[in-house]
Formats: sequence, C-alpha cells, structure tokens
Amino acid sequence: MQYLERAKLGLVKLNVNGRDVEIGDDYADGSLLWALRDGAGLCGTKFGCGVGICGSCTVHVDGRPARSCLVPVAAVADAEITTIEALAGENGELHEVLRAFIEEQVPQCAWCMNGQIMTAVAFLRATPDPDEDEIAAALDANYCRCGCYARIRRAVARAAKALRGRSDD
Amino acid sequence: MTEARGERRTWLTRRGFLIGTGAAGAGLVAGVTLGRPGFHRFVAGRIAQVLEEGMEAPPDDFDAWFEITPDDVVRFNVTKMEMGQGVHTALAQIAADELGARWEQMDVRRANTAFGPQGASTTYGSFSIPASWAPLRKAAATLRELLIAEAGRKLGVAPDRLEAYRGTVRVRAEPSIRLTFGQIVDGVSAWPEPPEDPPLKDAARFEYIGRSVPRIDLRDKLTGVAVYAYDVQRPGMLYGAVARPPRIGSKLLRAAPGRAKYMPGVHAVVIDERAGFAGVAARTREQARRAVSELELEWSEGSHASQDDIEALLVADSDACIAVARRGRGERALGDAPVVAEYFTPFAVHASMEPQAALVDPVTREVFVSAQGLERCQEAVAQILGVETGDVTVHNCYLGGSFGRKTGLDSGTEAARLARATGRPVHVGWTREEEMRHGHLRPAQRNRLSATLENGRIAALSHNIASGPVLFPSFPKVFAIVAGADPGNWVGGLNPYRAIPHSETRVNTVKLTVNTGAWRGLGTLANVFASESFIDELAALAGRDPLRFRLDHLDDSPYGKRIRNTLLTAAELGDYGRPAAKGRARGIALSDYHDTITAAVAEVSVEANGEIVVHRVSGVADLGLVVNPDGAAAQAEGSIVMSLSSALIEELTVKDGVIEAANFDGYPLITQRRMPQIAVRLLESDGRPRGMGEPMMGPVAAAIGNAFFSLTGRRLRRLPFTPERVRAALT
Repeated sequence: MQYLERAKLGLVKLNVNGRDVEIGDDYADGSLLWALRDGAGLCGTKFGCGVGICGSCTVHVDGRPARSCLVPVAAVADAEITTIEALAGENGELHEVLRAFIEEQVPQCAWCMNGQIMTAVAFLRATPDPDEDEIAAALDANYCRCGCYARIRRAVARAAKALRGRSDD
Repeated sequence: MTEARGERRTWLTRRGFLIGTGAAGAGLVAGVTLGRPGFHRFVAGRIAQVLEEGMEAPPDDFDAWFEITPDDVVRFNVTKMEMGQGVHTALAQIAADELGARWEQMDVRRANTAFGPQGASTTYGSFSIPASWAPLRKAAATLRELLIAEAGRKLGVAPDRLEAYRGTVRVRAEPSIRLTFGQIVDGVSAWPEPPEDPPLKDAARFEYIGRSVPRIDLRDKLTGVAVYAYDVQRPGMLYGAVARPPRIGSKLLRAAPGRAKYMPGVHAVVIDERAGFAGVAARTREQARRAVSELELEWSEGSHASQDDIEALLVADSDACIAVARRGRGERALGDAPVVAEYFTPFAVHASMEPQAALVDPVTREVFVSAQGLERCQEAVAQILGVETGDVTVHNCYLGGSFGRKTGLDSGTEAARLARATGRPVHVGWTREEEMRHGHLRPAQRNRLSATLENGRIAALSHNIASGPVLFPSFPKVFAIVAGADPGNWVGGLNPYRAIPHSETRVNTVKLTVNTGAWRGLGTLANVFASESFIDELAALAGRDPLRFRLDHLDDSPYGKRIRNTLLTAAELGDYGRPAAKGRARGIALSDYHDTITAAVAEVSVEANGEIVVHRVSGVADLGLVVNPDGAAAQAEGSIVMSLSSALIEELTVKDGVIEAANFDGYPLITQRRMPQIAVRLLESDGRPRGMGEPMMGPVAAAIGNAFFSLTGRRLRRLPFTPERVRAALT
C-alpha cells in the first residue's frame, strides 16, 4: 500500500487563471471538475450533476464555456483554463457580471451561480448587445433550483450595458 | 408576542412537545384504542399549535447572540442555516434594529454547536423569522438597555434621558452628547443584572426592519470564497464513497472488499455488516467511487414494487382516513349525493443543486455538513466516533439549496464511519444519482374532495388526503402512534373558507415503499392544487365567477379579511377578470401555509402539441410584517418557479423496485425558456411576521389548472400537466 502510494506521487500540470497549477496525478485520468476542486482547491467551480446537464461546473477552456465534469484532464493539458476565481481581482475589484449579479440580488443558495456567470461572461463576449430572448436562450441550459431565472436575465442585461459602456470609453 | 410565549413554554421545543404528550401518554393511547371521537382532532390541534408557535425558537440570552468590541464592532452570532433564503441577513436586520446599531458595524458570524445561541439551529417550515422574532428582539433589547445604563454611568446622565441610535447612546434632548457602543463597553468586564422585561422598540421607529437591505452573503458566494459542505478541505483528508442498495428496501447481508482493496488510491475498505454499511476511503472521489463498484456485496431482495402498486396504496376513502380538523358537522353533513373529485400529485425530488456532503475530522472532532440542523448531526456523529456529544463541534456551512432534502443524517454519519476507521478526515459528497435514488422523495399523494352545493353555495366540504410519511421519520415511533396521521400531510389542507358551515379534513398516512419526507411546503403544493381546483369546479357547477365564489365563502374574522385582501390584490395584480388576449385565459387560487396567506393568478395558452405555456404568474402574500421586502419577494419568485416546474414537468416513477430517473436526463427541471413574466406583491396586516420560504408553493399549480379550465372547459386533475395529459384532456 505504502509502495503504491509513493509510486503515484507524480504531478499533472494545468494552466489555470494564467498560472501553472500542479495537481497530484491521481487526477490525471479523471475529469477537470474534480482536478480543479479537490486537486487544486478551486472550489468556486461547483458540482451539480456530473453529466453535463445542469451547468453548475462551467469553466472556460481557451475562452469557451465548457462543462468541466465532462472534460477529461488529459484533454486540457495544453489549454488555458479560466475559473470564476479569476473574475475577482486581487484588489477586490469584481468583473461587471459579478457586480450586476450582486446589484440585482440574484442568487439565493448560489450553488449554480458559477455556471450562470461563466456562461454569461462568455456569452456577452460573443454577443455584447443581446435582447432578452437571446439572454434566455444562452442561459437555457443552466439550472437554478432556487428559481432566480428572472433576476439572472436582468443581471445579464445590466452587465451587458455596463460592459458596453466600458468599451465605449 | 412575548406574553403568548410564556404560557406555552412547554410546547416550544420538539423535546418539550414529546415530554408534554408523554405525560398524558396513557390517556392518549387509551383514546386511540377507545376510538374516542375527536381524539385525533385534539392531537392535531395541539400539533398545529406547536408547529406554528415557535418550535426551534432560539434562546433569548443576549450574551449568546451578541458581543460588542471596544473598536465598535457588533459581533452577531446568528443561528439557523442559510440555504438560500437570506435568513442571516433578515435576522441581522432585526438584531441591529432592536439594538440600535449601525448596519455597517454588524459582523455576522455563523453560530455552531460550540458558540452562539444553542439548540435551535434547525431550519424548517419557514419558521426562522416568526420563531426568532420575539427571543431575538428580547436579547437585543436587553443588551441595549445595559448599554444605555452603562452610558448613563459614564456620562453622568440618567438613563431615561438616553436613547440608542445607530451605534451610539445619546442624550435624547442633546444628541451631540453621546458615546459609541465601543466607548461604552471599553473597560466593562461584567454586565450588571439584565432587566427582566426590556421595552421593545416601537414599530414606527424601525430602521432596518422593513427595508430591502442587500444580502450579506452574496459577494463571498459569487467569488468562490464562501464554504459549503461540499467544498470543505483539510490536510491529509480522504474521500469516501458508499455502496448503495440495488432496489428499494434491499438490506446489506454480506460484504467483502474483493478487488476494491487493490484499486488505485484506495486507503481503506470499511465494512460494518451490522450497520448495513460498506464504503471506501481513497485519495480522490473518483477513485473511491470506482472502488465501491468492485466491492463484493450481497443484498436482500428488496421491493419489486412498481408505480401502479404504490399508487394503489394511496387510498383516500373516508374509512381509511382519520379526522384532523372539523367545523360544524363535518363530512356527515355532505348528504347522499355530494360532488366528488380526485386529484393526484406524483413523487418528486428536491434537486437542490448542491448534493448533500459532509467532512468529519476524527482528531479535532469537527463536522462540516450540509444539514438543515446541527444538533441531531452532532449527536449521531458523536455516537459513531464513540465520544461525548459535547466533544463534537458541528460547523454551520452554507447550503447549496435544500428544500427539505438535507434533513437526514446520511452524509454526516457515512463520513463519520469512514473517518473513525481511517483516523483521517474524510469527505463524503453524494452524486446526483445517489441524491435521486437514495434520498427521500416528496410523497405521491391522492386527494379526494367532496362537497354539497345548496343555492349556489357550499353547504358542506370534505377533504381527504392520502400521502406518505413526511415528518414521522424525524420523530420517535410513539409520535406516529399518538398522532395517527402525519402533520406534514395536512399542511395547506385545512379549509380557509370558514363561512362554509360544515367542513372536515381527513388524512391517511401510508408508507409508500420508497422513503418519503419533507419537501418544500410539505403537503401544501398537492393539497392546494386539489382543494383550489375543486373550489373552481364547484364555482363552475354553481355557475358563479370563481373569484366571487371564493369571496362569498370567507368569514368576517381578521383571518377572513386577510384572505379577502390577498385574493383581491392578486386579482388586480394579475388582471383577473379582465379580458385576456385571444387564446389565453387566467385562473386564480388561494393558499394558507402556517398563516401566511398567498394567492396567485396565472395566465396560460396551449400549444398545438399540448404544451401549456404559462405567460404570467402574479403572486401575492400577506405575511403580517415583512422584514426584508426584496428577500421575501425573492422567496416568492423562487417558489413560483419551483411550483411551475412541479406543475408542468416534474414526476418521478418507480419500476420494479427502482426509481426510474437517475439524473437530470430522466428528471429535467424547468429552465429559462419556459419562464413566464412573474410579479410579486407583499402585504402587511397585523405587525406579526410569518414565514415566506414556502407559502407560495401553494397556489400556483391550481391557478394554472384553473386557467386551463377557463380556456378549454376541461379539468386537469393530475400533476404534472404534461403535453400527453393535456392532449388526452382535450380529446
């Protein structure tokens, strides 16, 4: 047993939020979700279903939203991974989407919010001036059991406006 | 409020209640055997009183709740579990207001079993605010009076000339003469004897109560800083996974490690046949789960029941039910040919987005668990670790939703078994499949309603409820014997139309093969779906407008007036009675959940494929007094969405002893695409706060069904209203 444990003490390298992160190679043949959460201690990415339906575990892989529960670690060895932790600056400054979610008092339990927000950030990058139907469609595959859907839409619209204001400057 | 508490003190806690019934136990059991008329109604009345008047009321000793530091911080040790309902914010508002603190100086700390108010962490029934209201205000008022007395001493001013105001105590006539709370407590090592009955602040002077103060927990939750039980990590920890039975009711007979021992990352295989437990602790979760599938396990056969077998258990005949409430002559006044209709609500899961999880550290004896209450878990984990209850500290973690799901002890006791065996901290986090198949369900339910109409009015009404155990599983078995019917079953099932001279509610609580238990609102969704659909059916038979018909059956009591006001406000908000767009219609429904009155208006249309489109839902609630309007509105909005999901989509079925759905592919939830326009209005009436976490689970499903009837003339009596059922109803 001891021998086996020692033999496994290799490390897997991932690029997360612009940094190299080393994770024990127990996670090498698993999903990105558990490597991030349990391996790297980045618990902002949440587990909800494990089959890619609820969206709670959404991260960005090379800038595109991905359900980390379905992404094998081996497939993202060379990719740039972004998690929600990157949306809060070290000086405490928050990404416009986070600010909008707070201003609209969106979350209740907030467990799904990682997915709502990571999906919204990527969506607004591709669609800076969305209408309400486009917002609803973009977030249709993210469950929220607390039922914050209307507030989510309002917050995404508010964030879109704030982000546009920024790029106009 | 305070006076009511004094005389009912024996009924304040769960233990108190059981002692209370125990003392009269012999007589009560004799009541059952003698079949004394009214016995169960008497017990039911007492239970309702316990449920509504402050079970799990926290203590009112100020030094458990508060600590003020010389640097002007008010530490507020908040009890109750934050599972999304914003209760910590609302309790802090009450505390700051009564204390006379500044909102910005409040440092809210989550109490656990080691510090802060003890014995009342259990969070359920939307009772946190109503149950904490009086004791918390008393605690804050006590501390405020002590601060005023001490400030008087320091300033040399008589205390009756002083007042607390935004973190200071100042001279009322000369506000510039003042001391901050920090200055007052500086150098104070012990408080004098606190006043017995401190005066409470006049409601007209509330500063934070009644304001939409932003939630205190959102920033941490959105930036990944907040710790939920699923997120807890400790150095040297292991991850656990546990073997699950292949069928409902299968028991573990024999277990052997098999190949699991040799699987990568496995630290220990833990088998306790007597406890029916087999699990693995490994370096990662995925390793632990893979190893569990390699255990050699022998299970008892278990159940082969299917959905039809289970539904056949739900007998709502009067003979099978016992009376829990009666007005006038009750069902005996129905006569020979009453109108009868039966409604059905299926099994459902909670689907809280965070599955349950726990970490137990066997060395520090700390527990981090997703649970709606800490005390039961403390006791259960201590027992497994073989230590005194008081030696175990259960932390107050944020819950990623619960809705009644996290009322059991599963993940906590599983982590404790693995932690004890390995001597290391072990985390057990359930998968979605485990949540769906191995937790407890909202019981399937059959409701039979009967009524007699005379001259366009309801002369007699009876409501029979057949459902599975909801609260019984959390109580000792004797409770079930004494109570006869599960009190959770008839929540929302008592007749609010008190001008009906004869009415009765009867309940048949029957085990439904699968585990059933608490689910948001308990019986409310099913009961109100049935009763408010039925009232609509009666209105149609009487040829009356459904809203006027409802109003005509209310009495003139303050209760009746609150209902009238709620119904009329909902009608106005939802344009009920105004013409709807072509192809659309509206329906209305009313609900009473533990004295929070709610009403909803839904506007619907039907697609060619049978899909009901809900365009608008307008919800109104009278909760007496609102502590945080935006927070309460959010609860109402969320309940409307959860009700829509139940009304339109959610249904869990059993086949050959197995719950058919294993994940969201087989049990989808409602999403953005089907969101209607939602409007909520809150009403205040008598200055006494009621809960808002669950009440809006009542009226929405019935309002949709009633709108569908108004549109099509067809009645849907079985949830959910799937396109297949709609098509069948229309042909």
